[in-house]
Amino acid sequence: MANTIKIKATDGSDVEYIDQMFDAGGMKDVYFSPDKSYVVAFFRDKQDFNAKDRLQNIVGKYRDNIFNQAGGDYWKDLYCWPTKIVEYNGKLGLTCPAYQKHFYFTKGSINNDFLGIKGKQKEGKWYASAKNLNKFLAPEEKGDWFKYFQICIRISRAVKRLHAAGLAHSDLSYKNVLIDPSAGLASIIDIDGLVVPGKFPPDVIGTPDFIAPEVLMSKHLPITDSKRVLPSIKTDRHALAVMIYMYLLHRHPLKGGRYFGDGFDPDKEEERKMGADALFIEHPTDRRNSNMKREYDRDYTICLPFIDVDKIPYTVCGPYLKKLFNKAFIDGVKDPDARPSAVEWEDALLKTVDLMQPCQNPACWHKWFVFDNSTSPKCPFCGTEYKGQLPVLNLYYSRKEGVFNPENYRLMVYNKQLLYMWHVNRFVYANEKTTPEQKIPVGDFHFHNNKWILINRKLPSMYDKDIDKKIEIGEAVELTEGKRILLSKEDGGRLIIVQLVK
Amino acid sequence: MRRLPVYLLIDTSGSMRGEAIASVNVGLNALISCLRKDPQATESACISIITFDKEVNNVVPLTEIADIQLPEITTPESGPTHLGKALQLFCQKIDEEVVLSTKERKGDWMPILFIMTDGKPSDILLYREMIVEVKKRKLAAIIGCAAGLDAKPEYLKELTDNVISLDTTDSATFSQYFKWVSDVVGIGGRSMGATDTLTLPPPPSELHSII
Repeated sequence: MANTIKIKATDGSDVEYIDQMFDAGGMKDVYFSPDKSYVVAFFRDKQDFNAKDRLQNIVGKYRDNIFNQAGGDYWKDLYCWPTKIVEYNGKLGLTCPAYQKHFYFTKGSINNDFLGIKGKQKEGKWYASAKNLNKFLAPEEKGDWFKYFQICIRISRAVKRLHAAGLAHSDLSYKNVLIDPSAGLASIIDIDGLVVPGKFPPDVIGTPDFIAPEVLMSKHLPITDSKRVLPSIKTDRHALAVMIYMYLLHRHPLKGGRYFGDGFDPDKEEERKMGADALFIEHPTDRRNSNMKREYDRDYTICLPFIDVDKIPYTVCGPYLKKLFNKAFIDGVKDPDARPSAVEWEDALLKTVDLMQPCQNPACWHKWFVFDNSTSPKCPFCGTEYKGQLPVLNLYYSRKEGVFNPENYRLMVYNKQLLYMWHVNRFVYANEKTTPEQKIPVGDFHFHNNKWILINRKLPSMYDKDIDKKIEIGEAVELTEGKRILLSKEDGGRLIIVQLVK
Repeated sequence: MRRLPVYLLIDTSGSMRGEAIASVNVGLNALISCLRKDPQATESACISIITFDKEVNNVVPLTEIADIQLPEITTPESGPTHLGKALQLFCQKIDEEVVLSTKERKGDWMPILFIMTDGKPSDILLYREMIVEVKKRKLAAIIGCAAGLDAKPEYLKELTDNVISLDTTDSATFSQYFKWVSDVVGIGGRSMGATDTLTLPPPPSELHSII
């Protein structure tokens, strides 16, 4: 049995850990505390003054700025943020809360967990890779498509908060972001590498697959060279876009089997595809990097349908994300300023969630798809066509009384779908600032006696505008073609116009 | 999907009999079990095992991590260490198995070769001939491991600069060694330093790297 080591943190508090290495990361050796509530991670290499200063800021000032503010508790689930600095036997280390239970596999792989991953961390790579997902993971671990949207929303939100504080993570990757597709949760880890522009330079350039092209292209230059590009908020944006694309579509946006000539060194081929010759695999006109058969070769069949970009193009993610993917992978691979910010991703993902419909095929593991604005919607993953009427609510807002403008915002209705305050009022947002009160649904939709209805649960000033009649709390209104319903008379209150897709 | 071919050349000469070979078997099992838990490895790593004593055997042909069935590796009562012959088979195997990049196929990553021996090559002429052959081929890394006090690292150093010495051939040492092998294989998914390109992880403290 390994000994328990008792040491003092630099702030004078007690720290204990079991002297048996639990994990070795790229830079650190990790040990558990006796009660497993936190871990102690020691840097393998000697850290310079700058690194120490950075860590002090991370456990001190930066931590306070995010956690010790109104609503600061919200972030506890989204980051695994270092809490203390320790020094022992000449090695510098830090303490960090242990990862939450749901980030460990409960079932693991198929065939009674033949890979033996039960109890191991749900590293993102298991899910980002079509092969791992299709060939190895137990169905219970996979979640459904809605959960992957929730994961991406949480990651975007966490990155947004870091960037708002002027911090760059600098090494976002599937190793450094834990995800739980069975509950739609995510948490950013390895925060000790944070980069502060102009203050703390990065000590890693990132993880392959997520390194921005300009960083990869200049990595041969000395670190002092003015043309050398190092990780920053802008390169985080590249990593974030790649991550969202991979979690939603299970393929890499720049790995499309492009051919550079016979005998081309495989390492160089990969570097060109991620760097100087970065080209979106779904580029609308330049198809040189759209040879998925070459990319996946003998694993092509096992990776279907995810890697069939004709069957499941990125447009299945809906219009808002299509626009951002274009900005990130068509413009943004060459122009870092064109990359969407984390706020834009969060916003687009949230609006896309409102366009989602449950798939009517009970065997479809995606379970959800994004309404494609067509008159004959079908699930792009299993091909099942939607049967029946599909109500779409077009949302309008009023700038001055009585005049309503469209705002490119829609809400798809399905049985037992819920209406929230952020649908009702344009000044309410679904984000970390949403109050507990605002998180309570204010209405719900049902398919009842062959009719689509909306039941008002909490809205004090909901009106049927067609007949100018108030809809009282507890009352229902039928959703018919062209029906106009004012959700709230308050400032920012929205009007909905119903469209029925048959 | 591009494979990462990993070839393990393992000494099964007479001197490995007993605890040493038992430890190698335990270590190999641990290696496979460790790689099966690494999503980077399950996606791309493939392993081939070649044993060498008087005979040379490809006991595990190049196989994906998830599909490997490890046989029990045994040693004869006594016998020479035909490392040269093993390298000959290795060259033949990579020529046959490793897919080169073409217009239709993406091709594999460059292979990694691990050689573990507790002695020195008995077929020294062939060994030196084969060093020339191995060096003609594109490999990502060649890592030699001289296990135990009778091992002669200087022969391995003719082949590669990366030679590790193990003081003993007991199970604790081998388990450290194979843990390190799994780190080398899994390194593709780790963060890259701002100052270096991809490098080998530092060997654990019980090993001695001779460079």
